[in-house]
Amino acid sequence: MHSSLSNIRISGLAVSTGSVVRDFRADGLAAGDDPAQLERVAKAIGLRERRVAAPGVTSLDLCEDAARRLLEEMAVDPTSIDALIFVTQTPDYLQPNNSSLLQARLGLCKSVAAFDITQGCSGWIYGLHQAALLCSHGAARVLVCAGDTLSHQTDPKDTATHPIFGDAGSATLVEKTGSESAMHFIFGTDGSGAQAIMVPTGGARQPVAAGAPGAYLQMDGAEVFNFALREVPPAVAGVLKLAGWTPSTTDRLALHQANRFVVSAVARKCGFPDAKCPMDLVEQFGNQSSASIPAALVHACGSTLQEQPLKIAACGYGVGLSWGAAAFTVGPVVVPPMLPFPRR
Amino acid sequence: MPRDDAKNLAALCADVDALTGANLETVLATLPNWDSLAVLLTISHFEHTHAVGITATQLRSCRTVRDLLAHLPC
Repeated sequence: MHSSLSNIRISGLAVSTGSVVRDFRADGLAAGDDPAQLERVAKAIGLRERRVAAPGVTSLDLCEDAARRLLEEMAVDPTSIDALIFVTQTPDYLQPNNSSLLQARLGLCKSVAAFDITQGCSGWIYGLHQAALLCSHGAARVLVCAGDTLSHQTDPKDTATHPIFGDAGSATLVEKTGSESAMHFIFGTDGSGAQAIMVPTGGARQPVAAGAPGAYLQMDGAEVFNFALREVPPAVAGVLKLAGWTPSTTDRLALHQANRFVVSAVARKCGFPDAKCPMDLVEQFGNQSSASIPAALVHACGSTLQEQPLKIAACGYGVGLSWGAAAFTVGPVVVPPMLPFPRR
Repeated sequence: MPRDDAKNLAALCADVDALTGANLETVLATLPNWDSLAVLLTISHFEHTHAVGITATQLRSCRTVRDLLAHLPC
C-alpha cells in the first residue's frame, strides 16, 4: 500500500530505555560460552552492551516516561491531545489495551481516541501513518507511543536470540500544520513467513496452562535476514520515489536497528553509505523492536534535529512478516535526551 | 563460460571465517564454526559479491562447499 499525506509534522520525539545494563561478553562468559566464539559474534554482529528493563518494568512504563518527558519539555497540555496510539507486542495485559491504561496515566481527555497496534519492528511506521491519517481527518495532535520489552520474552538459553534484545519506549508527537510538509508511506506484509519470528504459545491458538513455563520468542535470524534484504530496499526506493528524493539528497536512512550487521547490509543494498545510516544503536542499547527507529533518530541525530530539518527515509521490518517505509522531513523538533527508566 | 569455483571459493572464504581452509569437498557440518553467524555471512557474501539471493532454506540444504557454490550462476 502506498500513501502520501500532507500538512502534518513530527513536532517531538523522546525515548526511554531500560535501566539495567547487560554486557554481552560478561554475560556469555558467565553462561560458560567460549570466549573466542563470543568475540567472533560480538565483532561480526556488533554486540557489546544492551539496556534492558528492570523486573516489573513494562513497555507501558517506558512509554509513559518518554511521553511525560516529551510533553513537559514541549509544554504541551495533555488534554490537548486528540488521539493516542500505542504500538507494542508486549502489552501489560491481553485485555485491556495499553493505550487505555496510558490515557489514564497521562491524564488525557475522555474524548481521546485510543487504540493499540500489535506490530513489532515495523510498528513505529504504522503508528506514524495512523497518526498522520488522523491529523488529515480532524485531529490536531496525536501521540504515538511505541515500545517493547522483548528481553523479557526471550529464552536465556537461546544464545542466538536472547543477547540481541534491549528494551525501550518512545513517544512521538504528530501535529496538523498549515505548511505543505508531506509524509510518504509504503507498507507490505508476507504472512507466509510468519513462523520466522514467533511466540508460539500464550495466544488463543495455543494457550499456556496456568503454572506452565512462559512462552519465549523464537526467531530464525537467517530467514529474517533474507526477508530484510528482499523487501526493505524496494520499499525504501518506493518512498524515495514518492518524495522525489534519492539516496544522495536524503539526509539519513533510519532502519529498524536489528543489529549492525543486518543494518549495514540492508543500507548497502538500499544504496546508502554507512555514514548516512545510524547503525551503532544496538551495540549500546540492543535491538529495541518498535522503539528502535525513533531511538536511532534521537541517538544519532537528536541534537541536529533540534536545530534544523533533515530529510529522513525510515523503514521498519520484522514480525509478521511485516514492513513499512516512510519518507518525511523533520525538524527543528523537541528531542529530550534518551534516558533510562527508572532513573536513580 | 564455466563457473570459476576456485576463485569463488577464495572470495567466499575471505568473507566467511568459518570456511577458512575449506575445499570444495569439505562437509559444512564438520566445520567447527559453521553456525547461524556463518549462514548470515554467507547470505551477505552471495548478495553483495554476486548479487545472488540465496535463501536460508537453500543454504541449509547444502552438504558441501561445492553445493554452496552451485547456487552461483555460470
